[in-house]
Amino acid sequence: MSLFKRAILYIIRKWKKTLLIFFILFAVSTLVISGLAISDAQEEQSAGLRGTTGVSFSVGRNLSTGGRGNGNGGSYSTQEYISNEMIDSIAKIEGIKSYNASYKTILSLADKKGTALEQINRKGIAAVDCQFYSFGAINSEYNSLFLSGTLVMEEGQHITSSVGDGIIISKDIADKHNLKIGDSILAVNDPYSNDPTKELKIMGLFTVVADKTDEKSNYNMSSYYDYTEYAFISMPAMRELLVNYDDATEYDSADFFVSDPEQLEIVIQNVQNISSINWDNFIITANDEVYERVASSVSDIGSLISTLIVLIILVSVVIIVLILSMWMRSRKKEIGVLLSVGVSKPAILLQYIIETFLIAVIAFPSAYLLSQNVAGSFGSLFGKSATNILVTPQHFMVVAIVGCVLLVLSTIISCVPVMRYKPKEILSQMD
Amino acid sequence: MNFAKRACLYLIRKKGKTIILLAFLLAMATMMLTCISIQSATKDAAFNVRKGLMGSFTVNAKHLEGGLTEEVLHQILSIDGLSGNYTLRSYTQASLLDKLGDALEIEIDGAASVPEGFEHAGKIVANSNSEKDTYFTEAGFQLVEGNAIISEEKGVVLIHEDFAKRNHLSIGDTMMLGNIEDKKLHIEVTVKGIFTNTKEQDSLGIVPSYDLYENIVFTDINTCSYLLFADFGQSCQYGDFYMDDPEELDAIMEIVKAIPDVSWQDCVITKYDKDYQNARDALVSLQDIVYVAIVVITAICFIILSLLLIFRLRNRVYEMGVLLAMGISKSAILMQQLMEVLIVAAFAFVLAFVSSSFIAQQVGDSLLSQTISANYETVDLTNSKTKNKSKEETNNMAALAEVKLAEIKVSISIIDYVLVWIAGILICVISTTLAIIPILRMKPKNILTQMS
Repeated sequence: MSLFKRAILYIIRKWKKTLLIFFILFAVSTLVISGLAISDAQEEQSAGLRGTTGVSFSVGRNLSTGGRGNGNGGSYSTQEYISNEMIDSIAKIEGIKSYNASYKTILSLADKKGTALEQINRKGIAAVDCQFYSFGAINSEYNSLFLSGTLVMEEGQHITSSVGDGIIISKDIADKHNLKIGDSILAVNDPYSNDPTKELKIMGLFTVVADKTDEKSNYNMSSYYDYTEYAFISMPAMRELLVNYDDATEYDSADFFVSDPEQLEIVIQNVQNISSINWDNFIITANDEVYERVASSVSDIGSLISTLIVLIILVSVVIIVLILSMWMRSRKKEIGVLLSVGVSKPAILLQYIIETFLIAVIAFPSAYLLSQNVAGSFGSLFGKSATNILVTPQHFMVVAIVGCVLLVLSTIISCVPVMRYKPKEILSQMD
Repeated sequence: MNFAKRACLYLIRKKGKTIILLAFLLAMATMMLTCISIQSATKDAAFNVRKGLMGSFTVNAKHLEGGLTEEVLHQILSIDGLSGNYTLRSYTQASLLDKLGDALEIEIDGAASVPEGFEHAGKIVANSNSEKDTYFTEAGFQLVEGNAIISEEKGVVLIHEDFAKRNHLSIGDTMMLGNIEDKKLHIEVTVKGIFTNTKEQDSLGIVPSYDLYENIVFTDINTCSYLLFADFGQSCQYGDFYMDDPEELDAIMEIVKAIPDVSWQDCVITKYDKDYQNARDALVSLQDIVYVAIVVITAICFIILSLLLIFRLRNRVYEMGVLLAMGISKSAILMQQLMEVLIVAAFAFVLAFVSSSFIAQQVGDSLLSQTISANYETVDLTNSKTKNKSKEETNNMAALAEVKLAEIKVSISIIDYVLVWIAGILICVISTTLAIIPILRMKPKNILTQMS
């Protein structure tokens, strides 16, 4: 009788035991596959969590190295401004997910018929009452007012670099003048000069969340305008509006947002290596305070989960080794009988390995199929979302390959001590 | 021979099998206990994340008569859940006078107007920690000489470099701040520091003279309290209060609004928790993953445990047949099996406490050393970066220190340990009993004639 046939016959004859071994292998491999999937999900989620801290760096003019000039507004710096080319070349660096730069000016707004849009709290001077503190924005979503939650988009879309003539105004102003998304607004920088008037489409409406009366924000020009008197305008339109002003194509500062906070240092280094920019004239400031405050705790969670997964794998290995040695020990007599009828030791070993493999061949794939659902169903059972826990074929491959090696090794290890004895010694042992 | 004796003898006679069973139960119990300790440690870590995301609320009491008084402040600070970090702020204008009471000269270039009565006035910014004022954090102010103002101080000011030069003032000199309306109300102050602005004021040409950067004077809360309310206490207009856990922000704001004898309708209370709101979903799903992991592991562990116990019994069918044939009662056989498993389990559970405590200790230590090495890394960066960058890093380190992260305890509580005991024993008893019933139902003859 060939050893292969013997193996199959044993499995069928002892189907209850086979079934038990099968279930144990199945459970252990489900555990390990789920563990690997959980570990991956954790890493992804941690990266996501780090990403929400909005790490960025700003490039600003270095006023300490530039010269100074004098004008009617007092002394001012003659330092180089940040150009569009500069922003483009920085934005090309890998790891930067988005960027924004603003040009601020005061625009007078009117509806399509030319009727001035009055502010919520009128000051009583017609020329001032239709003035809006306006940001020319590349990506308005990344304007610090939206990032900090001071303003929240209520309806519509943010301005992106692909928008030509778009404007975002406050919902209060829109309601006051019966304007809605898609309506047009006329904008002009200085109505008493030959500045051009442009028609802009309302893209979005924001609502004010923060307390504007808090004087902590009264450190610059914006503080003289209520948040409802703010407007965000797409950059191409802004440039056309300010066509009469030389410096309107350049910026005081620009913010660049990094997709992975861990890469911030490297990204900044790469930016500093851009040779076309004279870095003596600019300052880079990293804004990663929030990330710094949470990073160590997030990685603590990561280490804790990794420990757990390592433990799972170790315990699984122990279980597999133990269960196989329990099995082999219970078959001592059988080994003795086979040896005494002249079956060679390698043949006996091979028969046992084939038996375990036959079980594993079914157990591993079924564990793979089950573990795809196990996390989800346990999750929903306790009202937790586990949609991030995804089992991939890679996880299965790892378990299948490592599992098979482990099965062979532990079969050999648990059989060898028995086989060292002579058949007579084995068979005369009391059980 | 009674079943207890038989159980002991079996365990001693079959040392190999006993050791395998012990190793197995030990592995399972260690895993369960470590799982539990990691679960609770993850909760600590998640709390630290929330703490790091820092929620705060601001009480704007500018229109409240008498401002935010010291008494109300103490009541707010006594609420559980506040981190103890807070900033008090007040803003006003005051006449800037020398120590004899003569007017000092202010900058007027760049001002839209010099309002009447404000010819020698500057904006007064009182902050319990001047370093954290928006002028320093946002508008690019920097101290060039002296030190920042901290909460305990009284009668000190920071002045602009330009203003200091114009009026020949230097650190340690005294000057006076006077109430604009009530000329008799003035207070003597000492120059503690001199600052400058690194960014240009963008509102030149539209601001009144006192708002020009050059005319801004920072002072302490007590001094401003005197100027505003003629009161030498800590009364102020604004208070920013930082939370331990941003999750509790809403609840705590409700408690604040319930403080009696304050007309809260005159105050604006605003919450600032954008960072927390941004990160919240990601944090919750991260915690969910841990939770699901623990549940999955626990469930599978229990399944494996019962399967193994059943497997062990199936190997002893023959033995049970012999015992039954000898006339030993079924209950005695059951008791013997239970006894064997429970004796080994007891040893395993005691050892598991030692092994899992060891693992917990190792994990705890590695977390600690990770934090320390992270700090070293930051310090290293500071040395190699440009001056500007290093300042940023130092700020971040300070911010980190300010959050005061809770220590993550990876340990096993007595309750958890007792739970593992109970659950472990239940599993052992139930699976042994369930596995043995079909065997004991058979007649000894049938068992013994079975081929093995």
